[in-house]
Amino acid sequence: MNPLIFTTILMTVLLGTMIVMMSSHWLMIWIGFEMNLLAIIPILMKKYNPRTMEASTKYFLTQATASMLLMMAIIINLMHSGQWTITKVFNPTASIIMTSALAMKLGLTPFHFWVPEVTQGISLTSGLILLTWQKLAPMSILYQISPSINLNILLTMAVLSILVGGWGGLNQTQLRKIMAYSSIAHMGWMTAVLVYSPTLTMLNMLIYIMMTLTMFMLFIQSSSTTTLSLSHTWNKTPLTTTLILITLLSMGGLPPLSGFMPKWMIIQELTKNSSIILPTLMAIMALLNLYFYMRLTYSTSLTMFPSTNNMKMKWQFETKQITLLPPLIVMSSLLLPLTPMLSILD
Amino acid sequence: MLKIIIPTIMLMPLTWLSKKNMIWINTTTYSLLISLISLSLLNQPSNNSLNFSLMFFSDPLSAPLLVLTTWLLPLMLMASQHHLSKEPLTRKKLYITMLTMLQTFLIMTFTATELISFYILFEATLVPTLIIITRWGNQTERLNAGLYFLFYTLMGSLPLLVALISIQNLTGSLNFLLIQYWNQALPDSWSNIFLWLACMMAFMVKMPLYGLHLWLPKAHVEAPIAGSMVLAAILLKLGGYGMLRITTMLNPQTSFMAYPFLMLSLWGMIMTSSICLRQTDLKSLIAYSSVSHMALVIVAVLIQTPWSYMGATALMIAHGLTSSMLFCLANSNYERTHSRTMILARGLQTLLPLMAAWWLLASLTNLALPPSINLIGELFVVMSSFSWSNITIILMGANITITALYSLYMLITTQRGKYTHHINSIKPSFTRENALMALHMTPLLLLSLNPKIILGFTY
Repeated sequence: MNPLIFTTILMTVLLGTMIVMMSSHWLMIWIGFEMNLLAIIPILMKKYNPRTMEASTKYFLTQATASMLLMMAIIINLMHSGQWTITKVFNPTASIIMTSALAMKLGLTPFHFWVPEVTQGISLTSGLILLTWQKLAPMSILYQISPSINLNILLTMAVLSILVGGWGGLNQTQLRKIMAYSSIAHMGWMTAVLVYSPTLTMLNMLIYIMMTLTMFMLFIQSSSTTTLSLSHTWNKTPLTTTLILITLLSMGGLPPLSGFMPKWMIIQELTKNSSIILPTLMAIMALLNLYFYMRLTYSTSLTMFPSTNNMKMKWQFETKQITLLPPLIVMSSLLLPLTPMLSILD
Repeated sequence: MLKIIIPTIMLMPLTWLSKKNMIWINTTTYSLLISLISLSLLNQPSNNSLNFSLMFFSDPLSAPLLVLTTWLLPLMLMASQHHLSKEPLTRKKLYITMLTMLQTFLIMTFTATELISFYILFEATLVPTLIIITRWGNQTERLNAGLYFLFYTLMGSLPLLVALISIQNLTGSLNFLLIQYWNQALPDSWSNIFLWLACMMAFMVKMPLYGLHLWLPKAHVEAPIAGSMVLAAILLKLGGYGMLRITTMLNPQTSFMAYPFLMLSLWGMIMTSSICLRQTDLKSLIAYSSVSHMALVIVAVLIQTPWSYMGATALMIAHGLTSSMLFCLANSNYERTHSRTMILARGLQTLLPLMAAWWLLASLTNLALPPSINLIGELFVVMSSFSWSNITIILMGANITITALYSLYMLITTQRGKYTHHINSIKPSFTRENALMALHMTPLLLLSLNPKIILGFTY
């Protein structure tokens, strides 16, 4: 793509999310979402083939539906409150419709069906943007309307997402689908604590973005999109296997890595609010996620996958130097001792 | 406490910066020195604990376990030298790094004051152990073993996290030093029953309790020698240590909640001892013997009398040393014949008489011969369980008999009799192996002279 056009489109995506996050008028928020959606379609379709076309179409249809639902909720809110400012939502119906719309944008169950299919159809870099940047805008709206969200619906969607994210990823060998299901499960964790402490949602979002960025960059560096091609990394860059191991264990939420921090804080917050069974269930269902991460590490780092000498040289046109990778890896694995610093967020 | 933790962490740069011919020498020497530092903790002058800081403390219960942990690292390093000799240098350094990381987490676990910190470090010990088992084990079954190990332990311990946080909400602090003074009886309700279960299940899986022990034979058999040693000697004792700490907070539910687990342990110790009599795989036999000994510890902890706590602590230390020594002996067989089947390497006394002496001592301590500390532990547990209920003496007596039976069976099969013709070309015992056995046996025998240091905080 022409670099100037690509820059413009990328800037529009960024601008769209910024408008969503910084507006106080509901219409501007909707406009921000639409800008974001329209501008990301060319990015999703960077490679022009039927698979990306299908993925982009699915993405466009679901997100446009969600935007329309959002608009309806905004109008109902307008009818009941008489003003366009984003504060709490004044009508329970509007709140439910808005929560559903934002859940559709995030990919929470029962609106999660588009996430694996869209993520699989696009390139790794586009998938990266899809699973990290695109979650910021809907999450910021959820953060702002969090006092008026119907708790039952949100918690149901959260728990079902964790379940679906865990179970759905069990049968996958394609890395992008694994990351998509992991994203569904993490969104579930984030929305579960939204009503109790939105700060923890943001913390979880931050750490999730760091870990997902790390994972995607490790995949991009070895140009691997399937478990099979990832298992050849011991041949080419053995250090990457250790890094993949550490990051995957962190995503699974194992102490002493930083992925444990959001889970611990969320369990703490939920327990403080006297719900005990819910965090226990959520924690146990996160073990499903850990299972397929473990399977990935088994074929990548902990065993040597048999491969012939022919496969030692994969086509690699230039060595990709990803400067951001080392700091990201450090941050996505070693942040747990900094947990007491979270008191600055209060 | 930092005087032990920081040198252990610094063992990691030591390995990575050592030259090729110095890695084993450097790491073994410095880890032995670190173990000497930890010996000073055994001097506990008052009935109270030694408090080093708000975060670390040492207590007559945790000090012997700490000394055992630090003593075991040089032994693990010595035992691993042979099977790692053919690996490239980076992988050797990675292995030693894993062992050192595990050691650091274990030291911090045994001395943690805050129970959530204990939990995080308890879970953190899983990651290096998993990597050691899965990456350096020898058979394909190790993959399954690693998964069973990780998931059994995690399933048990996630409710523990929730339980600890809810206790923190109730009492305001989880610092162990405070809790022992603040202790109030837990009110009787259904949710407190679940709280009891949530707190104890993690340690029950780790011990392991008889019904939840499926991960143990897999993990012990598939792990390389250092993995087996640390699993048998220390990681099982983490469960016992955790149970001993947390039962102080869980009265009075323990009086009736403990019954199912007591029944499972009493029956399980007989079952697992009997299974030992039918094992063909040497490491599997030692693994099941671990389950049986740990079942005694579970019985002791759940009865909650001063004598039973003494027995539990003594038994943990004694079993740690004995089991680790048995695994080293089994490994010396494995390195020569590359098979764990017992009858393939029998009659070794003719070929390796000194090793036969070590086998004899290890088997004798395993069956709790007087005056070893194994006997002291078992005797205290048997006596206190008899006073709790007279009928348990039948099961305990049967267990002691069957333990003697399988220990002697193991000894006689591997050592006595005519040797098989295909092993007459095995290498003689290395000095390293003899030193390893001596270093295991010497503390065991010396402790029988002064067992009160391992009798725990109820002495």
